[in-house]
Amino acid sequence: MKILGFQRPDGQLGIRNKVSIIFTTDCSRFVAQKLKLLFPQSTQIFGYPGGCAFQDGPVNKLTALGNHSSSAAALIIGLGCEGTDAYKIADAIAVTGRPVEAIKINEAGGDIMTVEKGSHILVEMIQNASMSERVEMTPADLVVGSECGGSDSTSGLASNPLTGAAGDHLIDAGGTYMHEEVSELMGCADVLAERAVNDRVAADIRSAIEEAEARCFEGGRFSWGYGNIQGGLTSIEEKSYGCLAKSGTKPLQGLLRTYGALKGQPNGYYISMSEPNSGTFSGDPEGINQFAAHGCHLAMFTTGCGSTTGGLIPVLKVIANPTRMQLIRDNADFDATPIIRGERSLDEMGAELYQEILNTAAGKLTKSEIHGHYEV
Amino acid sequence: MASKAILLNAHDDVATALVDLQKDEQINASLGDRSVDVVLLQDIQFGHKLALRDIAKGENVLKYGLPIGQALEDIRAGESVHVHNCRSERFGHRHQKYGVNA
Repeated sequence: MKILGFQRPDGQLGIRNKVSIIFTTDCSRFVAQKLKLLFPQSTQIFGYPGGCAFQDGPVNKLTALGNHSSSAAALIIGLGCEGTDAYKIADAIAVTGRPVEAIKINEAGGDIMTVEKGSHILVEMIQNASMSERVEMTPADLVVGSECGGSDSTSGLASNPLTGAAGDHLIDAGGTYMHEEVSELMGCADVLAERAVNDRVAADIRSAIEEAEARCFEGGRFSWGYGNIQGGLTSIEEKSYGCLAKSGTKPLQGLLRTYGALKGQPNGYYISMSEPNSGTFSGDPEGINQFAAHGCHLAMFTTGCGSTTGGLIPVLKVIANPTRMQLIRDNADFDATPIIRGERSLDEMGAELYQEILNTAAGKLTKSEIHGHYEV
Repeated sequence: MASKAILLNAHDDVATALVDLQKDEQINASLGDRSVDVVLLQDIQFGHKLALRDIAKGENVLKYGLPIGQALEDIRAGESVHVHNCRSERFGHRHQKYGVNA
């Protein structure tokens, strides 16, 4: 399948084409959701589900998501008195050339006037977005993330190594691949520092992991217990390597600490982190949307216990637990159980998973998209 | 034929059981060009590890191509590799503090 991307005015190429409805605070979420319900097709909704928030983190995050390659235009709904100012976010998105409008409920005249004004804006934005120019993309244009959640012993043995293998294929084709969760890389500082492309990156990843380790030891919240040992894990390193298996084998180009950090950097393998105080979701959807904020077009998500999560980018669910695969087939995108049954190799199935990344980029809907998941 | 143990990296010293395995079973673990046959010296549960070669006391034990710890004693091919005979120097000493006497 050809990947026909959507051309954005700032040069980005998106694999999906959505108008973003952004709420800036809990107090404007409900009105934003009314607009989403009026125009369910071709829109996506997200925002800062917090209070008054006079912090940069949420503003940076919402701006990064509004400027995502899949976002054709943005309508921002604020209440009016919050720190995550709707006009400020609109100005930051307008810089990229995207059509953007902001409405403050208190200025517009409450629910009714905001919905009326917002509806007029969305009708035009959605129609204009549908005429976005299509440009053929190659795998080298793609940025893909990998996250694990609801992990079990099949995660470290099969599904995580599979995403690593698929990531290697993407990088071989010139693309960019990343994972996150530095806190789960305890004991991996030496290993990752050796994979770093230079001393600066080596020092950066080493300090990030050592900080995470120190926090865990201080809090006494060490991710290690009898259950791990009963399951067959011998050391914390072994457990972490199961998570690190998502990383594949390519050199580490850098640690992405801020949204936009990837801009101007070479393609390849990265580890991403969330900006401080930028949490706009929680749990697994937060991880997916962090990938979006870092510019990922889509994400792989490995799970053994199961998951239904979606996000602002297509989520490819990889499951290697045979029982779970049977139970949750309508939410799973890639069946990795042949590896656990000893029937197929990691090499073979890694190549198939890479192909599934390309299919998804070309427009094949993931299960979470079909179900219409948006986790707000 | 379905494999009963998975080799995660061609350089590994251990394979991981994909089903509960019995003493005296002959197990094959392979990845790419490497294929190892070993006869089990003891039962190995699903998710637990078996040694693919004789590992000397003090040697690093590799899984995912990376050291998961060092052998606390000589380990023979076909034996279980776990907390009783393998420990990480880096974090092993801290296990006890967090309730695991490894």
